[in-house]
Amino acid sequence: MRLSDQDKALLDGVKGDVDRQAMEALVQLGEAFDAEDMVDIGYAHVHAGMAMYLGDVELMEELAERGARMAVPASTNIANADMENWQATRAPESLVRLQKRAETAHNTMGTGGCFTCTPYWAGHWPTWNTHMASIESGVTVFCNSVLGARSNRDGFFAVYAGMTGRYPRFGLHLDENRKPTHRVVVEAAPSGTADFTVLGYAIGSQTTNAIPLITGLERRPNLDELDALGVGMATSGGVAMFILPGVTPPYGDGDAGLGAGLPSLPIQERDLRAVYEDFCSGEHSRFDIVHLGCPHASFEEMKHYAQLLDGKMVKPGVELWITTNRTVRQMARDSGLLRPIEASGAKVISDTCPISCHFARTASPDPALGVEPPTLRAIVVDSAKQARYIRDMIHCPTLLTTTEKAVETAVSGTFVPRW
Amino acid sequence: MSDKTTFEGRGIVKGNVTGPALVSRTPFSFLGDVDIRTGDVIGELSDLRGRNIAGRVLVVPATRGSAGAWRFLYQLKQHGTHPVAVITGELPDPSVVQGAILSGVPIISGLADRIGNTVTDATLLCVDGDSGVVTVIEAQ
Repeated sequence: MRLSDQDKALLDGVKGDVDRQAMEALVQLGEAFDAEDMVDIGYAHVHAGMAMYLGDVELMEELAERGARMAVPASTNIANADMENWQATRAPESLVRLQKRAETAHNTMGTGGCFTCTPYWAGHWPTWNTHMASIESGVTVFCNSVLGARSNRDGFFAVYAGMTGRYPRFGLHLDENRKPTHRVVVEAAPSGTADFTVLGYAIGSQTTNAIPLITGLERRPNLDELDALGVGMATSGGVAMFILPGVTPPYGDGDAGLGAGLPSLPIQERDLRAVYEDFCSGEHSRFDIVHLGCPHASFEEMKHYAQLLDGKMVKPGVELWITTNRTVRQMARDSGLLRPIEASGAKVISDTCPISCHFARTASPDPALGVEPPTLRAIVVDSAKQARYIRDMIHCPTLLTTTEKAVETAVSGTFVPRW
Repeated sequence: MSDKTTFEGRGIVKGNVTGPALVSRTPFSFLGDVDIRTGDVIGELSDLRGRNIAGRVLVVPATRGSAGAWRFLYQLKQHGTHPVAVITGELPDPSVVQGAILSGVPIISGLADRIGNTVTDATLLCVDGDSGVVTVIEAQ
């Protein structure tokens, strides 16, 4: 692998032991994937340090104590507890205290601590051709497909990339790998974020690790729908990038013909219905929580929820959770949007979500924290991603519907299905 | 024992360890196939279901993808239930490689078929992730 003088200096330890560790790890990664050299990155979305996993917060504390600092703009991924409003989720205080230690470590390292799966709604908006690293697969697919930035699906090493400002040039950092592999023909009329997570999920279920070219949509999806589309296919198919001509830089409206000759994948309404049905495993009158905001809601979505909930009351015995990032929560508070939402009895929660909080049964927290996941009858959701991981991580039934019908469900106490 | 059998693959993650083999014919997911606290394989799609990966040289044809795989491999390490090395056929995905580097678990790829056809469970293997060489120390 060809290394710059600056890379070699880091390997020699001129900036200290912790930067040497980061660069050594990145070189090993690059050699594993035949990278020719390293690129400068302009942004990193990094691991939060998760209190639900043994020794994981300590991993971030150790880096901070040894002098790790972010060399490029960086944001933090989702955490395991709402660090401001944790009582609303009944999280154990011991867990919250540990989670806050990760926040302190990130403050030391200079990471923009937004603790979210949607850092773009908090202002982290990498532009066309910005090389970056991301620990969150939903961020990877949004930044590649909507913003035209260049990101692989990373794990922990997004932290090392942020510390050094470098990343090995392989995968989606190379032009040759940013071309469509399949042509999706949408023969349905999805509308709203729930439908778009389901459309993405249906696509990803049939094309693992593909780069689908999306054709046939009746209109340009809005930003929330584009976010939902990518998240759905990242969840079911490990998709890191889709190409929607006219949206995905540098593909223009005229590029829909690029897919001629590629394997064709028609998606019809029955494919969307099948995903909704697959994630309606709970009984229609037996659920504990209705959840909106996967991925974490944008300001526009908060406006939508405020309109839907204005003057309504959540049915006693039902909890309505709205998850967003702390930046959007503050914007919603300042704009008066939290008033109608909270007056309805709904809870606005940041930094975490049902699958990321103390509900997860597949996590492995320090037993000394005394974390006991509650037994839940079912969770109503408006996102195929949340539904999939509730099934796999919380091990409880789900009921999947649209955002509007999920709000109706919370108000009436009876599940309102999509169809 | 003389004329030790060796296999040469591609060293992906550095490190030198010795441990008993555990051979699988099905792709393995670190997120979902294994109970972190015990190292027991619980995934229904794995032919190792009911076995334990702790302390073993895990021989698998491929790792199944998930961006969260690194965290689960690191959690196995934190709980002391991790495999001491991983030998794969296909190149593992970046998240697994990142988790293995973080956890100090050497990986060699391009070998699972050849090794899987030769060694059996509990064969003692020496894995050199730097050179990509696997040496059979003691056949069972």
